[in-house]
Amino acid sequence: MSIQDTGMTASMMQSELESAITLEQVCKKRREHRIGPINWSIPRGYVTALVGENGTGKSTLIHMLLRTLYPDSGRITWMGEACEGELPVHLRQQIAYVAELPMLEENRSTARQAAAFRSQWYPNWNQQRFEELLHQLKVPEDVRLSKLSKGQQQKFVFAAALATSPKLLLLDEPSSGLDPFAWKDMLSALHSEMERGDVTVLITTHRMEEVKRLADYVALMYEGQICGMKEKDELYQQWKEVWLGPVADRQLLDDLKELPGILDWDAKPDGSVRVHTSQPAELQQIAEENDIPVQVNGLEWEELLSCWVNDYRIHHLGEAKV
Amino acid sequence: MRIPVQINENSAEPLYRQVEDQLRALILSGQIEEGRLLPSIREFAAELKCSVITIRRVYQDLENEGLLRTRQGTGTFVTKVEEEQRVRLGEQQIRQLLDEVITRGTNFGWNRQQLHELFEQLLSERQLP
Repeated sequence: MSIQDTGMTASMMQSELESAITLEQVCKKRREHRIGPINWSIPRGYVTALVGENGTGKSTLIHMLLRTLYPDSGRITWMGEACEGELPVHLRQQIAYVAELPMLEENRSTARQAAAFRSQWYPNWNQQRFEELLHQLKVPEDVRLSKLSKGQQQKFVFAAALATSPKLLLLDEPSSGLDPFAWKDMLSALHSEMERGDVTVLITTHRMEEVKRLADYVALMYEGQICGMKEKDELYQQWKEVWLGPVADRQLLDDLKELPGILDWDAKPDGSVRVHTSQPAELQQIAEENDIPVQVNGLEWEELLSCWVNDYRIHHLGEAKV
Repeated sequence: MRIPVQINENSAEPLYRQVEDQLRALILSGQIEEGRLLPSIREFAAELKCSVITIRRVYQDLENEGLLRTRQGTGTFVTKVEEEQRVRLGEQQIRQLLDEVITRGTNFGWNRQQLHELFEQLLSERQLP
């Protein structure tokens, strides 16, 4: 396989990317779908966003990383350590997890009591940080968690996760249910968390603004597979939208259509065409040489991800172009 | 203080190059003065909504050019720019910009004289000595 095939970019290959978690040939069969085989490394010290459609296996994957689900086959290593059975305590103490709908065992406790309990399990528990976050996120400390709103519970879980000073933070749609104010606070808390250094974050999200503001790398999951991982800023420039025409010369259009890099070709009734391509410069040059009006636009994140999925379907699953 | 760098999302230019060119220009023109502490890599990345990989590349490139220096534990600073270097890099930048103007102009069918006249006109408007 060439570098391009695996979705790895040259700069990633060159740099000394250490991995926080490595998956080799990991498979898991669920009732509705099959996940894997997954071969993937989560780069240490960076924020990686895991994106993909609903039901594609992102949460299942996270549960395997937490060891709350075991893979049917394959191997996972955490900071270079593999394990049989449960995750050893010294690894668990370094991992924090925030789920999209918090299920709290400590429902009858207040935030203060729950924190006191949790702090016993984590040698690096930072009480000051915890209190700061609760205050910032406006979570009452002395009310039973069960009496709090879903959003407030979410904020408690988030604050408690950061208070453990984790090396590895797994966030499964952490912002669902948060109001925009809390969302902003969560982002800035995560940014300052990353300043601490040697923290690895894996976040699944459907909010593209979150990817844009947080991620260093983006990994795409599709039908139980990791399609690849790209540097966010390279992904951003990977595909462009090109508008051509209107063009009267059908033959010329047919020729242009065969240019490399073109993912889809949307011909409009007036003879103009909207194209998604990874090689806009070439298309633009040829169009200009032939006096065809041409305009290249950047794409929104949602569209970029669709392009990535299409690219994967065309080049890896052998499906026809649209 | 905020570093006035702006990313153009429609540009085909890679993000790191956009940031690098602008930051270099700010340093060379003296808008960011010697000794100034730049934001941390993570902070700057968050501000520009780009990745730390991009900012690290920018800081590294500008360090290699001698415009920045990183001190372990303190951060990345703007170093003293030698006058000769400032002049040379300044010229390089302006040459690049003018070159782009010429390309754009010729794309619109402008000729040498038209470009020349417009340039003169703009100079007079600014009343440059």
